[in-house]
Amino acid sequence: MRSGIFAGLLLATVSAAAAFAQGGPIKLANVAELSGGGATVGTNWKNGIDLAIEEINAKGGVLGRKLEVTHADSQSNPGVARAQVQKALDNEPYVLLGPGYSGSVKVTSPLAAEAGIAQIMGGEAAELTQGGNKFLFRTSFGQQSSMPKVAKYINDELKAKSVAIVWVNNDFGKGGRDVITKEFAKYNIKVAADISTEAGQADFAADVSKIKAAAPDAVFVYVNEEESARMLKELKRQAITVPLMGETTLVGQKVVELAGDAANGARGHVGLTTDAPVDLVKAFREKFLKKYNYVPDHNGLKGYLAIYMIKATTEKMGKVDAKAFADTLHGLTIKAASEPGILMDVTFDEKGDIDRQGFLVEIVDGKQVVKQVLPKLN
Amino acid sequence: MTATGKYLRIGLGVAVIAALIIVPMNFNRYGLYILSQWAVMTIAAMGLNLTLGYAGQVSLAQGAFVGIGAYAAAIMTTQGGMPLIAALGVAIVLCFAIGWILGYPALRVQHHYLAFVTLAFSTLAFLVFRNEDWLTKGIYGISNIPRPNVMGFATNRPLPFYYFCLGSLGIVSLAMWWLIRSPWGRAFVALRENPVRALSLGIDTRRYTLMAFAIGSALGGVAGTLYAPLTQYIDPVPFNLSLSLDLLMMVIVGGSGFFFGPFLGAMIAVLLPEWLRFTQGYYLMLYAVAVMLLLIYSPTGILGILDRYLTERRTKAASALRAVAKSRLETAP
Repeated sequence: MRSGIFAGLLLATVSAAAAFAQGGPIKLANVAELSGGGATVGTNWKNGIDLAIEEINAKGGVLGRKLEVTHADSQSNPGVARAQVQKALDNEPYVLLGPGYSGSVKVTSPLAAEAGIAQIMGGEAAELTQGGNKFLFRTSFGQQSSMPKVAKYINDELKAKSVAIVWVNNDFGKGGRDVITKEFAKYNIKVAADISTEAGQADFAADVSKIKAAAPDAVFVYVNEEESARMLKELKRQAITVPLMGETTLVGQKVVELAGDAANGARGHVGLTTDAPVDLVKAFREKFLKKYNYVPDHNGLKGYLAIYMIKATTEKMGKVDAKAFADTLHGLTIKAASEPGILMDVTFDEKGDIDRQGFLVEIVDGKQVVKQVLPKLN
Repeated sequence: MTATGKYLRIGLGVAVIAALIIVPMNFNRYGLYILSQWAVMTIAAMGLNLTLGYAGQVSLAQGAFVGIGAYAAAIMTTQGGMPLIAALGVAIVLCFAIGWILGYPALRVQHHYLAFVTLAFSTLAFLVFRNEDWLTKGIYGISNIPRPNVMGFATNRPLPFYYFCLGSLGIVSLAMWWLIRSPWGRAFVALRENPVRALSLGIDTRRYTLMAFAIGSALGGVAGTLYAPLTQYIDPVPFNLSLSLDLLMMVIVGGSGFFFGPFLGAMIAVLLPEWLRFTQGYYLMLYAVAVMLLLIYSPTGILGILDRYLTERRTKAASALRAVAKSRLETAP
């Protein structure tokens, strides 16, 4: 009898708590590289998230509920990332955000999948979405979709037969280098020189000498922004005049600012850039600059988009349902016309990979000029 | 030492062990993960404490040995499908041998020169982990590292795995306790305090220096074989120089040369940043400041404070006794 009363009380408490949760804020958890080697990545990502949440909450939230996020620092270390994701998941967030480093994504994604919570992350390594994880979503092109476009351009437009590859030896650089090497093989393009560099490397004189000795038809540069700028300067100093091709990190605004004249002529495929010729992206850039006093890199955009992905998916479901979230986002197309925060139309496939338009740009007189718009596939 | 003091210490020890077993039972997965991490790091720090605290050899390579152990475990259990115990054996032998070889420079150079030699080794190990793709899968790392079955019990769940780590820590602690009380342990201390005198007393300083390095390194390997199944994914980044520096800090903050130093040091290094996380962006700064203040207040670490307190009490008691005796002498007719 007494246990019956107790059970009744317990039930009442639980249902009261559930009712309270219905009206309370929607809890999100972010685990990112806020210190250590990936601090730039994680801080941009975090700021993008905070900006989007501030905007959404100012307009009344999602389905009338405010968004609330907790930020945890992974110290750019997969072991710490695992601990922090575990902590975040123990608090049962609606969606998990981050991390940005592919290694940290690899160690944490099985945990989120086990908990049945969707994870929206910043990693770009090709293999992340190929393990059949039903809860993992990208915010940008994986290397398996960006590199083929770069290789095609090098083959069709530059008509290069031999290419020197310069890459940064971390999971980002190595991943890109491995995918593009395979793509080059398909076109019978020879890799004239395969040069690995360090993150934070200051002097590229020796590397550029090697490129010079190999005399390739084009150079593919896949290192981070600061290193890209130093590389470009050194290439100019040693008078290498063959076309320079890269990705987002070679042709960003920051590279142009740092490298000055040396950046002219650099070309690249860009998935997400604050320099995109899209009005909504330009507006985002202004808002970000106003709030944080600096121009974000693509990681800032990714964090911002992650929040609007959550908003669009939740509004599509019409309810806040963590279990149904991943299913709803698979196959979902979000149009910028109806959800301006998403900036560009985007579709998510069954693996959590994205389909969005991309750009081929060239630096001309210190300005990014879009040479070609690569349309969305579907 | 008095009998009550002895019972008090035994009682305290039993209480701490019981707490370590019982309290985590209703911890969430995060809490268990952090505690397991503490146990693993304590083992690595104990190894360094032997090399640095007892034998007096500065080493900045302990993180590299944790890495060697972790890679041995990851490669053997994922690619070879071998049990973790086999990996443990390989890691111990490998780290012991490499530690022995790394000990040779210690016969010629001391202190910060030795630190530089071990630092170079640390960098070398990192480069091998990263660049030898065929073996270590390079920067991509090794994922899906299985957790072991111990005597028929699966340790996939966080709680059994924590007990596995705690049990390993217990075994290592007992072995260490025995070691530092053996003639070897005394030889290590002699080596630290006065190598010339140790030599004149017939201690083979050459052999014991190498031995201190080898055993300390082997314990790093043991910690590594536990680290790999704990995170279930490893890449080269966690085993760079900063882990070696972290371990060095654990030993110094806890109290270098004290048996329980590494336990406290690892607790500070693993748990304190977690407790300070509520301060958001400031937690690493506060953590750094706390460590600096501690070392300014007590350069010999936390146990140094305790040691100082106990010594003072003993001195006071002794001088009180002396004063009494003196006054008796003076008042004697």
